[in-house]
Amino acid sequence: MLRRIVVCLLAIACVAGARGAWAQQSRPADERLGGCFDGYLDKAQTAQATAPQPGEPAAPAEIRIGHLHASSGPYASISMPVYLGLKLWVEQMNAGGGVMVKPFGRKLPLRLISYDDQSNPGTAATLTNQLITQDKIDLLIADSGSVLTAVSVPIAREHKMFLFDPTGTGAAFFSKDNPYIALLADPVSTVWPRFLWEFLKSDVAAAGLTRVAILYSTNDFTGTQAAAIRAALKAPGSPVQIVFDQGVPTSTSNYAVLIDNIAAAKPDVVLELGYVGNDIAFLRNLQESGTKFPMVFTLYPGIETSTLLKNAGQAGLSGVFSYVTALAYSYPPEVGMTLEQFRDSWEKSYAKSGVEFGWNAIAGYVTGLVLGQTLACTNSLAQLDVRKAVFSLSGKLKTLIGTFELNEQGAQIGELTPIGQIAPEGKDGIHFTVVYPPAMANGKPIFGTK
Amino acid sequence: MRRGVREFVTVALPLLAALALAPLVYSNELLLFNFIMFLILAQGLNAIYGFTGYLPFGYVGFFGAGAYGFALAVMHLDATPLPAMACAGVAALALGVVLTPLLRLSGAYFAIANLAAAQAVYQVISNPALQDITKGPYGVTLSSVFAPALSYGVALIILAATLILVAWLRNARFGLALQAIREDPVSAAMAGVAVVRGRTIAWLLSALIAGLAGGVFAWHISVFYPETAFDLSFSIFAIVFTLFGGAATQLGPILGVLLLYGLYNVIGITVPQYFQLIYGVLIVLLVLFLPDGLASLVTRRGFRVP
Repeated sequence: MLRRIVVCLLAIACVAGARGAWAQQSRPADERLGGCFDGYLDKAQTAQATAPQPGEPAAPAEIRIGHLHASSGPYASISMPVYLGLKLWVEQMNAGGGVMVKPFGRKLPLRLISYDDQSNPGTAATLTNQLITQDKIDLLIADSGSVLTAVSVPIAREHKMFLFDPTGTGAAFFSKDNPYIALLADPVSTVWPRFLWEFLKSDVAAAGLTRVAILYSTNDFTGTQAAAIRAALKAPGSPVQIVFDQGVPTSTSNYAVLIDNIAAAKPDVVLELGYVGNDIAFLRNLQESGTKFPMVFTLYPGIETSTLLKNAGQAGLSGVFSYVTALAYSYPPEVGMTLEQFRDSWEKSYAKSGVEFGWNAIAGYVTGLVLGQTLACTNSLAQLDVRKAVFSLSGKLKTLIGTFELNEQGAQIGELTPIGQIAPEGKDGIHFTVVYPPAMANGKPIFGTK
Repeated sequence: MRRGVREFVTVALPLLAALALAPLVYSNELLLFNFIMFLILAQGLNAIYGFTGYLPFGYVGFFGAGAYGFALAVMHLDATPLPAMACAGVAALALGVVLTPLLRLSGAYFAIANLAAAQAVYQVISNPALQDITKGPYGVTLSSVFAPALSYGVALIILAATLILVAWLRNARFGLALQAIREDPVSAAMAGVAVVRGRTIAWLLSALIAGLAGGVFAWHISVFYPETAFDLSFSIFAIVFTLFGGAATQLGPILGVLLLYGLYNVIGITVPQYFQLIYGVLIVLLVLFLPDGLASLVTRRGFRVP
């Protein structure tokens, strides 16, 4: 009897193993990749030029867009704004009759299928598979943030499905051997802080502030930024010295002791790189401690300004340096709405949703814009044609967050955010003064105000 | 023992055959893989909780240790997947040995201490100071060994081995000794049962199963972060599935996984906004009306559940 069981188990294993071998052999070779961007084409002209020829496949009834979001859990605060921003774009497109899809030469309505992964990576992986294998989506968009995006990367690659990655900035996702991904709305973490380290090594050092403290949350997003900054500041010839460098768990919510430790190192500049909750806790603790540093930089005041202002207050933010995103710096878009128009639309649709308007909302909307432009210039819905279309937008597509630009691995290297300093405005408000790079600056930094 | 073989053939073999053939008719292979993974975890938990009464809230610690055992073998030893799977098992076993003194505790104390131990392992793995070894909090990428279909087959084999183990425990002298320990360790010891040795073996077997599950999970998913591998929901799900179906049986955890994880996915896809409400109500009802799981509906009437 036992022998029969063993034989049965071996047979089962063979069936599964044979499927694996077959799946490996049946992979087609990747197609040559190239560009196709024709600018912002007149839609009627595009339709005429690309009308389907006899014998070509009929247009589908709709374009199915698969997406994941997290309505609960630790990533809900960054995921929900992206989801709602994307949803807003889909609703606007459908209200106008759909989006132009070049292979079919006409507008098609969009259907957004977005599942809730509840911030659980395992669930996100299963739902990514569900979108691809069961819902038969045409375009796949990952959830927000690196942790939830990570699980979708190999699945999309395995199914040869191009992954539109809104904000998963982990550098490990982008490699030469994976053509099935592009980062759309956040610069990759290794590149994002470029203006910051340039600012530190030029203007800040020239002002005599050369001792830098780096305090970062140990997650892929901020850890990679910290590593990039560290490498740049330690490069030969750098006028800057790192006097404090420590990673803390992302769950850290009390920075009082850490601020004392930093102060003991007597830095001129403190860089605190964390998620929203980290930045709020750090800025509150800094204010309560009464400790002063000539320059303090944190990430999120410029990314989720409303949330930071609500929780850290005007006094907590005044004097702080941060990235200046499209929330406070106007980029004239060639495609889609301006910031003001988008904010108005958001307020009309989601004022009562409880989700704050911020950078991630814009990121969701920009993801939609890239999708729309991709459909307008792709030769077919085959995924490598979709990739070719996305890459053809690189360096040419200008949205409300700046110029969309990809490197050859699909990492976003455009849309860099300048560095700004926060000043109080009115009774409770704040405004940003852009201080770097010089080409974008509209004011000078004032050190020693924090 | 003949009854154990019969139970395996009637309960486990059809399940294994169905799971082997399922990808041919249902293409969301990852969902099927997750079913297998939770079946393994639920049976692994069954081996320690069902037979000895020790409920490890931090069971995910072994799972994460296995996942990182696999990842470290691939990253640093350039191991191929099968030797790396062995490393996954060894990593979990080693952790099991280190945590063996926890067996001196019992009840809620053991559960909480075990949970704390799992969190400690997670913090060590995700420590940025160990970035060169574990990649710290920045996650690992194992794309060089990514082979979902093959890892699916290996997961199936692990499940088969786990089911054989549980069938054996259900019917062998050793399993009966464990159940005697669960009911009353003092009486069992007086009757000549080696209490410490029995518990320790069950504990290590349970750790090994979770470690192998973690290893095959790492292989199948290939890109993950420490918070993915040490996600507490693995422990919670494994416990709930086992309790729902009925511990100390082979069929109970299987029913728990098939029904509850199936429901989890149906709810998650159709009405995710009600997920926590529906799942919460179900668990409350379970605790109130079926504390010994679905299997007790049958055993109450004097029937034996495989």
